[in-house]
Amino acid sequence: MFGWVWLILIVFVGMTVVYTVVSLYSRSVRKEKLERLWDEAPQSADPGARDAFIARGLAEYRGSLRRRLILLVYAVPVVFILVLVWLTNAN
Amino acid sequence: MRRIRLILRVFVLLIAGLFLHYVLPQHDVARITGTEIMRQDFSTWNHWFYAQADSGNVQGTTRDVRLINTVRQRTWLFGLIRGGDQTMVYRNEDTGWIWPPYFKFDSSDLQAEAQDLTSTAAEPQWVVIRHYGWRNRFLTIYPNATAMWAIPDDRPAAERATPPDYRVIPWFNIFFFLFLALVWGFIQIVWKQFRQRTVDPTVARVGETWDGIEANVTTQQGRFRRWLDTWRRKK
Repeated sequence: MFGWVWLILIVFVGMTVVYTVVSLYSRSVRKEKLERLWDEAPQSADPGARDAFIARGLAEYRGSLRRRLILLVYAVPVVFILVLVWLTNAN
Repeated sequence: MRRIRLILRVFVLLIAGLFLHYVLPQHDVARITGTEIMRQDFSTWNHWFYAQADSGNVQGTTRDVRLINTVRQRTWLFGLIRGGDQTMVYRNEDTGWIWPPYFKFDSSDLQAEAQDLTSTAAEPQWVVIRHYGWRNRFLTIYPNATAMWAIPDDRPAAERATPPDYRVIPWFNIFFFLFLALVWGFIQIVWKQFRQRTVDPTVARVGETWDGIEANVTTQQGRFRRWLDTWRRKK
């Protein structure tokens, strides 16, 4: 009877794990890219400048659309389940 | 050690394969001979192979299960090789919201469809039945039918005793395995990134600290040795 409550709970927990992993990965890739950008063409010899450059880049990333798009992982199973329900039960 | 690991790996793969074989949809070409409803008293052995009570109902210890009796075309190797006919009985249960995730709520409608498509050996109407699960006579378990449709048959009536050569392209399974491969690839990439960026630097830092400790111990030893030497007779 309350199977759908369980379903929502399980999907939510599972997708939170996926969201966390994907966002950590995405941030790590961005940080690596910023480091590479700086190392290829350093803008100053000051040792603090590199860290500042990376921090600025990550702050920019935090507000970016790309990071917000990761929230779509929550939408994927919902759409998939709705399509399955419709395909299975519509004649 | 290597042999044990190999055996474990084969065992895990076998379990995963059996699991997918049970859960993923398959298609049978069959002729429905009748439908019936039978009370099932589930045991601890076979209740795993049944779904739950119809969506919206209370779960009791026993309940009626809808069955669909058929004659189906024998298949091997995922339907690639086809043989003669055999009897097959399918159950027809709601899977509901949870497991397996077919989200089937229309068992009653499917039963009505099955009754509509029932035919005799003299005037056969061949249908495709989509199902998951296994038939096992010792456990009394049946595959669960999830959908069916009639196969258009334009052969003359005299030749319809044998099933038509009709194949269903398993789109769902194709996309499922593609998706599985994608997920596997993504996990590999994420793991590589995690190792490169987090594990390896940490290991290196720990290694440096350890080197420091070792160096420290050596100098300490040197000092202790030197202090001991002060007690020795000077040469």
